[in-house]
Amino acid sequence: MMARLSVLIVDDDAALLQALPQAVRLRMGGVTVETADSATAALDRIAARDYDAIVTDIKMPGMDGLALLAEIRTRRPDTPTLIITGHGENELVVHALRGGACDFIQKPIDRDYFVAALYRAIRAHVLNRRVKDRQAALACCADELERIVDGLERELGAPPGKGGP
Amino acid sequence: MTATVTEDRQLVVTDAGAPTTAERRLRVHVETLERRLQKGDEQRRAMLHIMGDLNESNQRLAHQRKAMLHILADYERDRRRLANQTERLDHARRALLHILQDSHQDKLRLEASRKAMIHIMGDLRETTAAVERREQELRDKQEQLVQAGKLATLGELTTGVAHELNNPLNNIGLFVGNAVDLIELAVAEKGQIVRELRHAMQQVGKATEIISHLRTFGRAAPVSREPISLRQVIERALSLMGEQLRLRQIEVTVDLGTQELVVIGNAIQLEQVFINLLTNARDAVVDAPRRAICISGGVGAGAAVITFADTGTGIPPGLEQRIFDPFFTTKEVGKGTGLGLSITYGIIKEHGGTISVVSAPGAGATFLIDLPLAPAGPKEFPS
Repeated sequence: MMARLSVLIVDDDAALLQALPQAVRLRMGGVTVETADSATAALDRIAARDYDAIVTDIKMPGMDGLALLAEIRTRRPDTPTLIITGHGENELVVHALRGGACDFIQKPIDRDYFVAALYRAIRAHVLNRRVKDRQAALACCADELERIVDGLERELGAPPGKGGP
Repeated sequence: MTATVTEDRQLVVTDAGAPTTAERRLRVHVETLERRLQKGDEQRRAMLHIMGDLNESNQRLAHQRKAMLHILADYERDRRRLANQTERLDHARRALLHILQDSHQDKLRLEASRKAMIHIMGDLRETTAAVERREQELRDKQEQLVQAGKLATLGELTTGVAHELNNPLNNIGLFVGNAVDLIELAVAEKGQIVRELRHAMQQVGKATEIISHLRTFGRAAPVSREPISLRQVIERALSLMGEQLRLRQIEVTVDLGTQELVVIGNAIQLEQVFINLLTNARDAVVDAPRRAICISGGVGAGAAVITFADTGTGIPPGLEQRIFDPFFTTKEVGKGTGLGLSITYGIIKEHGGTISVVSAPGAGATFLIDLPLAPAGPKEFPS
């Protein structure tokens, strides 16, 4: 199951797009990392694929990280999004969290922290998905049960002569 | 004659006694008379000659008298002329005396004036020295102001620069961390580790560049003058401001033509000019529908002409004259020092150039800078 996990990293800094995916590959074997150098490029990729987590820088030319976050929340409300902010940009962090970011990572990025946060996010997403799957299955079961109950009620409540077996 | 008379009496005396003798004596007497007559006639003729001569002399004398009269008339005329001349000479002499007196007074007055002049010159020298001292003080103050302005600019730049430094530092951390991971995992080949470290080195270079640029800009260096390329100056200013402009989505276009614009000046000061203009433009366009800064340049009449235009809110009418005043700012308290454009103005003026602004309401502001081109020669400027 881990082999199919995928992460999208969005930043306008080419060097970061080299370093961070490499860190993810080294620390989190089996996670596929894709990159986008702008928010618009990221939206194209998001449209094409459902990622298990998205990491985006907050300061980018053109559409910035907060705007991208809002887009993700409408297009893929379940995908956890992590925001990279500069050191001490607390106001932006608050904005991002209010905007629906699941976590924030401050620059300079602490790799252990980053990996842990990303792992948590992916895990939460996976668990969420599992919960949803289970809930859906449960709902199915409940429906099924409901139907069975209905059938039984009908059998029991109906005059014996009229009902089926 | 007397002798003759005496002879005659003797003859008479002797002839009294003899007629023949008397006759002889008479004859003699007649002869004598005849001789006398002859002599008298000769004398008369001589007298006539003499008379003629006299007459001639007389005539000549008359001529001479007439000539003398002429000469006298001439003399009289000359004398009168001389008298006139003497009189005129006398007048002239008197006039000359007046003139001499006047001239003496003039000389006195001149002397007084000269003395006054010397005093004035002394005062002037003192004043000039005072003015020079003031000018030197002013130059010192201007330099201090430029330095203060630079530091203010640096302060304003700090946020952007912190962001810019944070990026390479962050990347260095990541690359080095990756290398450490690769070593610890002991699975990777050496080349992969080296690649990570190389990337880290590149980022170190980037950070160093930013810091050294800031140090150069902030240094209170002696104001040296050398041929510098305006293109390089503008590029350096943009390298310091670029991140801030990029993050605010401000589009910057630079078109300096094909000709290299070389001026004699101070690279750091001129860089400050463009940083100040970029800072102003940045703040002016941030709320505008279109955010753009256009820097264009060319050569006109021996000067480099730089046009610096933005699409911001423009300068409110009536403030065009004031924006170059020190401490004049339209920004909120704490946002601007009001020194930027006044320092810009001072720097451009010190470089022998001019800066002016045109602004149509709502159409942004355009700064026009003229800087005298360096005399053509070997184009060497520090890169």
